[in-house]
Amino acid sequence: MSEADYKELKKGGMMRQAEAGRFSVRLHVVGGRLATPQLRSIQEAADRFGRGEIHLTARQGVEIPHVPQDALAAVKAFLAPSGVAVGVCGPTVRTVTACQGCRVCPSGVIDSPELAGEVDRELYGKPVPHKFKVGVSGCVNNCMKAEENDVGIKGWIEPRWEAPACTFCGVCQAVCPTKAISTSEDGVALIVDPTLCIGCGDCITSCPGGNMREKIRGYRVFAGGKFGRKPSLGRRIPGVLRTKEETMTAIVAVLGFFREHGNPRERFGDTLQRTGFPALETFVNERMGLS
Amino acid sequence: MTAPPLDITGDVCPMTFVKVKMGLQRIVPPGKLNVRLKEEALKNVISSLKTEGHRVTNVSREEGIFILEVTKGE
Repeated sequence: MSEADYKELKKGGMMRQAEAGRFSVRLHVVGGRLATPQLRSIQEAADRFGRGEIHLTARQGVEIPHVPQDALAAVKAFLAPSGVAVGVCGPTVRTVTACQGCRVCPSGVIDSPELAGEVDRELYGKPVPHKFKVGVSGCVNNCMKAEENDVGIKGWIEPRWEAPACTFCGVCQAVCPTKAISTSEDGVALIVDPTLCIGCGDCITSCPGGNMREKIRGYRVFAGGKFGRKPSLGRRIPGVLRTKEETMTAIVAVLGFFREHGNPRERFGDTLQRTGFPALETFVNERMGLS
Repeated sequence: MTAPPLDITGDVCPMTFVKVKMGLQRIVPPGKLNVRLKEEALKNVISSLKTEGHRVTNVSREEGIFILEVTKGE
């Protein structure tokens, strides 16, 4: 088999193993969620075609290792009826990770699996200059490590201070983990610095009089993160987005920027190093009609 | 009627929460309880008070210690 053939197989989720003639079959999993019939089907496939074991990947995925080359088509066909498809590798949009989100987690701000599902439907496996990872954290506790991803999303609460009954008791300022809240020079208003605010909503939870309110309960997009040999953290794009639809538009715009400016085999974070982050911001704003 | 102040400056979560809850048990609504606590305990104590239907009706400070006046809910 030629190197080109191996490359094609890899793109289709069949990962050549160190052991000649064996492949680790990567499966298509979104946000680490599988239904029990799918799990049973994966179990059966691992017993029949592999060596009775599965591997849980670093990004919530599942692989069936030790499948012989001549069984690759058969394992794919075996899994298909249960709705388990084979995954992707190579220069594509990879597995979308997600936490359980607001439907399950008490801390959740957004429905992470729902957004992950939508990103998956729109973008999974699409060609890009280099591997491209998307992860969704339901809140700023950030279990899914948004900043490690080429595009990371966090559920985000933007506070708004309302004057009428505020007694300036100082609780919000005391609980703010980044000290983003200050009193105006004339002492009659509280100001939340959006560049310092991390969207946790602690000021809202703690305010005795209800004068800190939710302005936006939404989404924050981070771009350009990666791990690997030279890790770097993604940076946040200005603005808190209100809806899943707006967030999808932003994600598609970020991907569009990568397609336009990224070189082959260059990770998105490195592309941004070359172009500068403001170039991305301008591009995304234009695509979102905010310019 | 105001009960003697409850000092939880030496406690950490979840004892802060437990002590405030016990302190409020001895009070008839809409009675008040003053709670002395450190900055670290503010968020959890106030959010659990709100969840349980009580209100923080005054906040003052004394040398880095916060004093919450809690009015017991029905």
